[in-house]
Amino acid sequence: MWRIMGELFRNTYRYRELIWALALKELRVRYKRSVLGFLWALLNPALLMVVLTLVFGTIMRFSIDHYAVFLLSTLLPWTFFSQSLAYSVESIVGNGDLLKKVRIAQLVFPVAAVISNIINFLLSLLPLMLLIALMRFPLHWTWVYLPIPMLGLFLFTLGTAFFFATINVFYRDVSHIVQILLSAWFYFSPVIYSLDFVSSKYRWLFRINPLLYVLNGFRLAIYYGMLPSLKSVGMSLACGITALVIGFTVFRRYQNSFVYYV
Amino acid sequence: MAEDRCSVLFDDVVQRFRVIRERPDTLREFFAKIRRQKATYHDFEALKHVTFRIAKGEMVGIIGRNGSGKSTVLKVIAGVYAPSSGRVEVHGRIAPLIELGAGFHQELTGRENILLNGLLLGLSKRQVQEREERIVEFAELGDFIDSPIKQYSSGMYMRLAFAVATEVDPDVLLIDEILAVGDGGFRQKCFERIRRFRAAGKTILYVSHDLGGIREFCNRVLLIHNGQLIEDGLPEFVTAQYEALLGQHVDSIVM
Repeated sequence: MWRIMGELFRNTYRYRELIWALALKELRVRYKRSVLGFLWALLNPALLMVVLTLVFGTIMRFSIDHYAVFLLSTLLPWTFFSQSLAYSVESIVGNGDLLKKVRIAQLVFPVAAVISNIINFLLSLLPLMLLIALMRFPLHWTWVYLPIPMLGLFLFTLGTAFFFATINVFYRDVSHIVQILLSAWFYFSPVIYSLDFVSSKYRWLFRINPLLYVLNGFRLAIYYGMLPSLKSVGMSLACGITALVIGFTVFRRYQNSFVYYV
Repeated sequence: MAEDRCSVLFDDVVQRFRVIRERPDTLREFFAKIRRQKATYHDFEALKHVTFRIAKGEMVGIIGRNGSGKSTVLKVIAGVYAPSSGRVEVHGRIAPLIELGAGFHQELTGRENILLNGLLLGLSKRQVQEREERIVEFAELGDFIDSPIKQYSSGMYMRLAFAVATEVDPDVLLIDEILAVGDGGFRQKCFERIRRFRAAGKTILYVSHDLGGIREFCNRVLLIHNGQLIEDGLPEFVTAQYEALLGQHVDSIVM
């Protein structure tokens, strides 16, 4: 296992310039030909926030105070996860032409897909801060804890990205299945609600969600201004590392046959 | 010839592809196949026990009919395919010029593509930046360098691809039928650069149907037929063999 992970880190470091260029390319292509260009990376979440705040702040009133912040604290990380997956599941197949022509470490493509989305995610935190300031919601000192759930989420996302990118090479259905899976997963995750809303009879079902601890960390730090328990911190990192080990092991096992199937 | 002068070595290389007749691209087909329980693939040998050795500084042409395995040879050298059996050795940095502009992205500008392509071919960012000016100059793109390459003509596109691949400064340059495109002037420029490459002791493998060009530039030609290396020798001789082979084929069609 250490050998496999060592290989992942070595290759990621070795190809860091290429990965970075590919990630920027993805962003550039996404925002190209729009008048505002890169600003959309900020504007998109900002406008989403305006909509959510209007809907939940004035039209539908929830018993949760400042519901927009409550929601966004987990919606933004969730969006990072789901978009990364949607991009990376196609990353090997989409770059098939390239793989057939140049000898290149296959892992650069899923890694670049996740990196480009993490840039988007980090940028979306700026409008969130602005919103928090405008709503006169306290900007808790616990924001400094955010790098921990971010790391857990990043590792978990990378692991699932490797996994689904691999099987999508062999069975193209996977990209469709991932979409369904993501929307089911969304409702099973405490994004629009919190776990207290779920009747205790079914709560165990929600506890098997590997993203639970990470999302919980984001919400505690941003909305409640609290730190999660040490167990929860450990679980969020453990889920991330486990997913990465499994995902990359599968990827590495099949990476040399990709070229025959893309 | 001393062993360290060897640039590319193929020792009894077999490249087998599994051709799946009903490839289960989707899960539905996969389950259907399991139910039927029969093998729906056969193995296809694209290269059958190919052996050759290319010394440093040679320019070797590879000829053969379409589908004979020429490009497979280049792809095995480039490391895209791992041979099913046999041994392949390549010494030095390889720059593949296999089909036009692998890795060019239509929406990106020429300059952005130079960086991306250079990185894909194994240069560092700094090395690309050092070469950028020379690439732009060689490709004669002028102001187009900052336009998205989807606006390029096919000639401009090809010039850029050729410029990047040769500026990578490879020890082994693989060229697959690229010089067929482009006007006479640029072709001349490409061949000029290829001559410089040879003078610098680099190895070039050139796959083409342009027998005139092969006779003019190569010092040796490999003729591949149905995955087998059937001739390996001087250009005049091997291209004549090839023409005879083509003649046979035409005869059999006529009859």
